[in-house]
Amino acid sequence: MGSKTWRELAGDLKLFLWNREERTCMGRTATSWGLILLFYFVFYTCLAGMFAFCMYVMLLTLSPYTPTYRDRVSPPGVMIRPYLHGFTIAFNVSKRSTWQPYVDSMHRFLAAYDDKVQEEKNIECVAGRYFVQGGHEGEEKKACRFKRSLLQSCSGLGDPTFGYSRGQPCVLLKMNRIIGYRPGAGVPVSVDCKVQKGNESDLRSVDFYPGNGTFDLMYYPYYGKITHVNYTSPLVAMHFTDVKRNNLVPIQCSLKGEGIINDVNNDRFLGRILFTLSIGK
Amino acid sequence: MVGGFSILLWIGAAFSWISFGIQFAQGAESPFDNLYLGVVLALVVILTGIFAYYQEAKSTNIMASFSKMIPQQALVIRDAEKKELPADQLVVGDIVEIKGGDRIPADIRLIFTQGCKVDNSSLTGESEPQSRSCDFTHENPLETRNIAFYSTTCVEGTATGIVINTGDRTIIGRIASLASGVGNGKTPIAIEIEHFVYLVAGVAISIGVLFFIISVSMRYKILDSIIFLIGIIVANVPEGLLATVTVSLSLTAKRMAKKNCLVKNLEAVETLGSTSIICSDKTGTLTQNRMTVAHLWFDDQIYSADTSEDQTTQPFDQSSQTWTALSKIVTLCNRAEFRPGQENLPVMKRVVVGDASETALLKFAEVVLGDVMDIRARNKKVAEIPFNSTNKFQLSIHETDDRNDKRFLLVMKGAPERILERCSTIMINGKEEPLDSEKAEAFQTAYMELGGMGERVLGFCHLYLPENEFPDTYPFDTDSMNFPTSNLCFVGLLSMIDPPRSTVPDAVSKCRSAGIKVIMVTGDHPITAKAIAKSVGIISATSETVEDMAKRLNVPVERVDRRQATAAVVNGMELKDMSLQQLDEVLCNHSEIVFARTSPQQKLIIVEGCQRQGAVVAVTGDGVNDSPALKKADIGIAMGIAGSDAAKNAADMVLLDDNFASIVTGVEEGRLIFDNLKKTIAYTLTKNIAELCPFLIYIIASIPMPIGTITILFIDLGTDIIPSVALAYEKAESDIMNRRPRNKSKDRLVNEQLAVYSYLHIGIMQSVGAFVTYFTVYAEQGFLPTTLLGVRVNWESNAINDFEDSYGQEWTKYQRTYLQWTGYTAFFVSITIQQVADLIIRKTRRNSIFQQGLFRNKVIWVGIFSQIGIALILTYGLGHVTALNFTPLRFQYWFVAVPFAILIWVYDEVRKLFIRRYPGSWWDKNMYY
Repeated sequence: MGSKTWRELAGDLKLFLWNREERTCMGRTATSWGLILLFYFVFYTCLAGMFAFCMYVMLLTLSPYTPTYRDRVSPPGVMIRPYLHGFTIAFNVSKRSTWQPYVDSMHRFLAAYDDKVQEEKNIECVAGRYFVQGGHEGEEKKACRFKRSLLQSCSGLGDPTFGYSRGQPCVLLKMNRIIGYRPGAGVPVSVDCKVQKGNESDLRSVDFYPGNGTFDLMYYPYYGKITHVNYTSPLVAMHFTDVKRNNLVPIQCSLKGEGIINDVNNDRFLGRILFTLSIGK
Repeated sequence: MVGGFSILLWIGAAFSWISFGIQFAQGAESPFDNLYLGVVLALVVILTGIFAYYQEAKSTNIMASFSKMIPQQALVIRDAEKKELPADQLVVGDIVEIKGGDRIPADIRLIFTQGCKVDNSSLTGESEPQSRSCDFTHENPLETRNIAFYSTTCVEGTATGIVINTGDRTIIGRIASLASGVGNGKTPIAIEIEHFVYLVAGVAISIGVLFFIISVSMRYKILDSIIFLIGIIVANVPEGLLATVTVSLSLTAKRMAKKNCLVKNLEAVETLGSTSIICSDKTGTLTQNRMTVAHLWFDDQIYSADTSEDQTTQPFDQSSQTWTALSKIVTLCNRAEFRPGQENLPVMKRVVVGDASETALLKFAEVVLGDVMDIRARNKKVAEIPFNSTNKFQLSIHETDDRNDKRFLLVMKGAPERILERCSTIMINGKEEPLDSEKAEAFQTAYMELGGMGERVLGFCHLYLPENEFPDTYPFDTDSMNFPTSNLCFVGLLSMIDPPRSTVPDAVSKCRSAGIKVIMVTGDHPITAKAIAKSVGIISATSETVEDMAKRLNVPVERVDRRQATAAVVNGMELKDMSLQQLDEVLCNHSEIVFARTSPQQKLIIVEGCQRQGAVVAVTGDGVNDSPALKKADIGIAMGIAGSDAAKNAADMVLLDDNFASIVTGVEEGRLIFDNLKKTIAYTLTKNIAELCPFLIYIIASIPMPIGTITILFIDLGTDIIPSVALAYEKAESDIMNRRPRNKSKDRLVNEQLAVYSYLHIGIMQSVGAFVTYFTVYAEQGFLPTTLLGVRVNWESNAINDFEDSYGQEWTKYQRTYLQWTGYTAFFVSITIQQVADLIIRKTRRNSIFQQGLFRNKVIWVGIFSQIGIALILTYGLGHVTALNFTPLRFQYWFVAVPFAILIWVYDEVRKLFIRRYPGSWWDKNMYY
């Protein structure tokens, strides 16, 4: 095999591509090609049909409102806002351009929580207990109001810069939505922040809104995207009023409550969140 | 550990480490995955390499080498004194002394001998010791009597000689170097596997490069593209296959060893199966290697005797008085004796002291008459003249066991014409009648007929000495011959032959139906060779040689059309004068060929001639001289009992019982393993597509990764190994000995049909089945198929920890990753389940599973259970080990792919049904692999 020259190989290839004598292209005649292509067309069409049928049957077994299993998504994870690229919030108080993107992100995020929007779409609920809505699964569910103004000094209403212009940034914390999940088993889940692996004194004071940093029970359970259209996740605002300047301060904020897991090594966003504050002059 | 797949895997490992290095330098979160993957890939290469080496080393247990043949000491006369010297210090011109039992230390020319006999069997294969003298008798050094050869043994007597050649320059040394110099080409299976590796590597590289280009042009990062490339390579390379092939071959080798074929080189197992010509020795291989009485002639009639291996009685008519007389001569005129203490053994198995013909006669008499030694004791011997080459007869005088008969009985046997000369009467039906010309004519006819059958004929006669002339006390003197040795009474003829082994005719006809040409190569006389060839079927009953045709048509040999003769008996002398073209012509034109009176060197020429015809040639041999031919042949077969060490060394296979029939069973096994390897490879290749598709769809549709690289390795090296070995135990689908040997250039191990059917039919079905499972797992957790399309970038982002699913729930990165691993496990489980179906369909290529039987091959079930067992252990047992990427899977997901498994099975049954129904059709051509 190795003794063939390139010229011979090229000749062989040419003959393989189009054999004039036997009128074959790549070793097959036109009829042969026709048959084989027809065969594969039919074969793959049937196979695609089988695939589609199986998927159809599988989708029929699913409920459009609740996923079959929710064991992988709970207990809830945690996210923060502002969120630009990562989990480092770094800015210079004196340079507006360094903190303005964070402020814009906050405003964009909080637009859905405008008091007017909330009053228009959602209802006032009884605080302190789960807002369980019976009835048919497919019925539209009502959502409870979470007004931006509840966040007080972190609402961006009084101070449109959320404290960034003064070096006292607000960070919003939100718990991941899970259908049917009732956090805290009757006791509201609260939030606590501390310095992670660093000097405790770097973080001297944090204010939590609303109500000492708890997620009120009335916002749960969540009923899913289709029926719970206007649902807005409750938030906890953390106002870092006194953080050591010109320093990287690693902060871990974690949820506290019955059924909350916040110490899994592999998942650093399960029931807790790690971020770094770096505030310059 | 280099070449073929190993290279591909090394490349994969290198890429893994490179991407690890880049990621580590960039400070990515979990770069260690790639490091592990690289290590695992390297381990796979190294372990399979070690495994292959170990298997090879185990089976290449080379036996005695030439160095072992060097005699430790030689007695040399140097400086007028006798010295003991190591044989390797001998130089040309040394004078050495040899005595009985010594090994000859070098090639020597004898200058003094005393009753010296040498055993040249290791060199020439002749088993009789040859006498040696100082006389120059022949120009050919191998024939002349005054040369003794290195490595042969001196059996008796003493001799002194001058060293003429030492070491590698001796005759045997030259043969040895010739043997090692003869090229040993690649075995057919090695060529096939190479072809297969090229094919798969070609597919892997072209798909890999194609998708590398696609992913780069789809704006994936180069690093990501490289990782895809690794995945594609790993998915495409059947990591476990080469080890599987080795194991299958060694299993067959073991099975063959049980059937007396000891295979030294694993690949030779399959070579035997593709054999198209067997060049076989006669003596010992085709025949029993012992003289046996085949025919008798008395009362003007020829009787045949039973020549099978385990005769206990002789069926011919024994009522005639002549037979009584003849049997007496056979019994008494015989010096051979059984070794004592073998009374319980069957007659044929007992060891006899005596030469070959006497042994034959003794055993014959023992079978027919019973206790020969007792008869001899009752007929006491009073005088004896042993056989010698001048007299050409043997004579003894006995008392008779009849008390009333005081006469002595003189019995004689010898060359028939010499015996007849000494006779004046002939016994017919127990009565002596004068030997007239008519009776002499009848004798001649019988003698010619028996001789024409290639048998060694002996004549027997007797004479009762008159009581008055030879009284009790008569002093018989064998030197002066004071008794009559002429005018005796001729009694009969016995003819002997080394009969064929009883299993051989069957084996030869099997070869014939299997399209294998059997060529007999022997040193024997052409007539004997032809007779044996006819009796075992190498020359079939209806075919004629040129000489036969000439005789029948009554024309000279030259005028016969050579092409019309199917058989040919070629003499070694003719062969010597033939040109290569003439030899090719002989090999080409005649389907039944016997080479007689050939020297072992000519075997090499015959083998080369056969190989020029494009045949795969198997050659048997025993002598040292055979080793070049054994080496040259595609498969050299050495005799285990009669073979010399050198022959065993040069051979690929050793025949433990020296029986030709064992070669044929070997051929059967070889053909079976070729078929079964096809099935194994088809089985193994199929799931490559199911491993490859996820990567392609992942790249194109940007869905979460359906299966991980590590998971693929667990399929290739875990669940799939035992089932693919189990296919080696599959029984043949039809009589594999009824088809022609495979054509080396056309019947490939892995042909287009096999690859296409595995890749594009079953492989695609498996992928579809696995994807159904994958989508089911995701959908039931909240990610509907439509949501999954195009999510790759966000899905894999470490920063997004509130990734929204189809229901509005939010997932952290790790939750998604864990779900992804569940997807891997589901995909893995589906492939495993469908591989069970694949295993079952691969049991047959043409027959329905029901024709083959689901339970005949029990090992398949071991394979299936091991497959499922390993999958269970991986998912539930090791489901918590993060690095392995397995998660405990919900039980019902094991069954999602079952409909597809059933579909695979039904589809394949339909395929086989159409192949059986419409042979030669378009379907058959495209779908049969």
